[in-house]
Amino acid sequence: MYKWFKRGRVLVSLAVAILITLAFLFFSNRDNFFFSSFLKVQFVPALLGVFTGSVIILASLFILVLLFGRIYCSTLCPLGTLQDTIWRVASLFRSKRSRRFKFSTPKKILRYSILAISAIPLLFGSSFVISLLDPYSNYGKISSEIISRSEQFLHNILSSIFPDSIFFRTYSQFIAISFFFALGFLILVTIMSVFRGRLYCNTICPVGTTLGFISKFAAFRPVINKESCNKCQLCISNCKSECIDLEKGEIDVSRCVACFNCMTVCKRDAVSYKFMWGKRDVDNVFPAKGRREALVTMGLLGSFIAARAISRKNPSAPLNTSDGIAPPGALSIANLKSNCTACQACVSACPNGIIKPATGEYGINGLLMPVLSFEKHFCGYDCNVCSQVCPNGALIPLTLEEKKLTQIGQVRFYEDKCIVVTDNTACGACDEHCPTKAITMIPYGDKGLTIPIVDRDICIGCGGCEYVCPATEKAMLIEPTSVHMVAKKPIVEKQEKVVVDDFGF
Amino acid sequence: MERRNFLKSALLGGIAGAVQLKPGNIFASESKEAQGETDLVAVMGGDPVTMYKRGIASMGGISRFVKKGNKVVVKPNIGWDKKPEFAANTNPELVAAIVKDCLSAGATEVVVFDHTCDEWQACYNNSGIEAAAKAAGARVAFAHDEKYFKEVSLPKGLRLKSAKIHESIIDCDVWINVPVLKNHGGAKMTISMKNFMGIVWDRRYWHANDLQQCIADCSTYSKMPVLNIVDAYRVMTQNGPKGKTTEDVVTAKALFMSTDIVAVDTAALRFFNQFKEMRIEDVSHIQKAEKAKIGTTNLDTIKVERIKI
Repeated sequence: MYKWFKRGRVLVSLAVAILITLAFLFFSNRDNFFFSSFLKVQFVPALLGVFTGSVIILASLFILVLLFGRIYCSTLCPLGTLQDTIWRVASLFRSKRSRRFKFSTPKKILRYSILAISAIPLLFGSSFVISLLDPYSNYGKISSEIISRSEQFLHNILSSIFPDSIFFRTYSQFIAISFFFALGFLILVTIMSVFRGRLYCNTICPVGTTLGFISKFAAFRPVINKESCNKCQLCISNCKSECIDLEKGEIDVSRCVACFNCMTVCKRDAVSYKFMWGKRDVDNVFPAKGRREALVTMGLLGSFIAARAISRKNPSAPLNTSDGIAPPGALSIANLKSNCTACQACVSACPNGIIKPATGEYGINGLLMPVLSFEKHFCGYDCNVCSQVCPNGALIPLTLEEKKLTQIGQVRFYEDKCIVVTDNTACGACDEHCPTKAITMIPYGDKGLTIPIVDRDICIGCGGCEYVCPATEKAMLIEPTSVHMVAKKPIVEKQEKVVVDDFGF
Repeated sequence: MERRNFLKSALLGGIAGAVQLKPGNIFASESKEAQGETDLVAVMGGDPVTMYKRGIASMGGISRFVKKGNKVVVKPNIGWDKKPEFAANTNPELVAAIVKDCLSAGATEVVVFDHTCDEWQACYNNSGIEAAAKAAGARVAFAHDEKYFKEVSLPKGLRLKSAKIHESIIDCDVWINVPVLKNHGGAKMTISMKNFMGIVWDRRYWHANDLQQCIADCSTYSKMPVLNIVDAYRVMTQNGPKGKTTEDVVTAKALFMSTDIVAVDTAALRFFNQFKEMRIEDVSHIQKAEKAKIGTTNLDTIKVERIKI
């Protein structure tokens, strides 16, 4: 029976990891939100998105963990699947002996302190620490920076073989710090999993620690039947969580990821997945203690959500200086910085390729969070993709109508740098690109030239003008609005109906 | 056995060749070259396809411009992520009609492309041009990356001495320029000459180096379109070239075509002037091009045909 559990678990985990990866790849994330909708079924995104529509998902995840323990970590977590895959591949190159796991003692202090340092800043409106540690978001960074770039490389090789039918994909901006963070993280996780299985999940991962608390009171828990067990150690050597203590005949459920390996390998059926609610083992004090811890955790999580609800209404001190323009839907830079975990779903989905991981635009606590760059392109007027793919609610979903009025920045015109003034020749590239006509052209000089004039109230900060401005020092620059505003509607200019029935020449 | 097969296929091939050649010969003999060629045709009052058919017939048929076996490029304006009713891009039905006509004249390949301003895939899709052109049998080429453009020198250019031009224009036998008539904030008007901005890679250079002169300079390119067809079915008379709403658009139902790019722009401008005042002196690239002897703004010196449907 457990054999089938395990096969099912492997199947689901691979499917989820593939679906999530596809949300980051160009060939699968265009023109549909099918793959990105799976990103919402991740613990940290659901927790942060609890006020923006993820309440049911979060509740379902809790119920899942309450029923089956940390099965989340071995089915829904893509980083978990990645680690299992790495371990599996590595074990192909190893002797049976060195493939064996050993029991390790829980690293409680380490786990709890990492959980604390990643959770506490969230209460004060910063998702920075969690963004560096959250398994999903880091898997996202790996997908975006490494897998997606490799996909692009392959795509471009194909485009040189079939130039008429496969287009070349212009390489997007390379942000070294983001790439090397993803690469470094991948290397760290690879080393940890090659040698110690789910070591990351049981030492560093804040999600693992949180779910570990709850799973102590899970309905189904792995239990060792001490009578049938002959301490052959087969289960231990297959336990990638290194959480089976045969000396005591106990399994540390806070670290167990419910992978069913132990149950599958045991020749005497001594390990089983048992329904534990309402059962009291006289000489086992675990259940009562586990229930208490689980309840405390749930209570803490509840107050955590409540505390965030309060701080949501009163955003922490407004930012005075910010060089970064946050993507539409971010509401404000403060909101972005308290909800974004830098998973790069928006970065890889942007059809214009203008969203890049921030380097210093939002300050150190906004590192790698999405920021707009108008160097290579500008924000499409009829596009709201980034706001639709964000699983966290760091970018709230905007309808196209809302997006077209969302003022992410305001243009400033530096007349002295404008080509029309410096060269006394026609230009109007900015006016050409302006979708709302916040920029219009008025007569200039007596050579029949026109020069731009701006109406900042209509401007939505799309950056078309800044991108296209041909002046060496840009005459049009978008200034970020640290709290996004609603722009005035573009003026509709009705035309008199002119009846023309002649050619005019 | 092998020899027999070879002979059989050679014979079949020969027959096929002869059959294929036949309609071409008929076509050639039908061409109106002798009729005293029309320089410019203006059509009014029909749908884009009807106007095109009437216009091209009066120009002497597409076979005057496209020969059998030609590789043809049809270059519309696909600059913006806008639906056809916004008139920011060339009418897709017109593009499709031209493509079909070129293929029927024996073109081996018809390529449609534009270097867009908005994100290219959105432009190709929402303009309706990609779908229409493909359905008509054209290949839609990519033009969103510098690698699709090749350096060409423009010795007669005053400010624009060289430009990177799209490879399909360089590789083709003939090309047909199919702009849409629009108001333009910077260049005042965008018609046929301004449509050349979509065959080059670096447009920013033009804006930074006397836009009007650069537009005229690019029309000194040795490989000019054999025909310019200006779509004025829907005309954006204000807020161009991108436009805000359909309020910026009038349904003018007109079409102009000419071998003379300066003449066709002059004609289209004069037509536009009836909706919104526009002086030819302000659209100075037209006169600059005349000065460079690219064509004429004097419509009385050429053979013009006016068709009202």
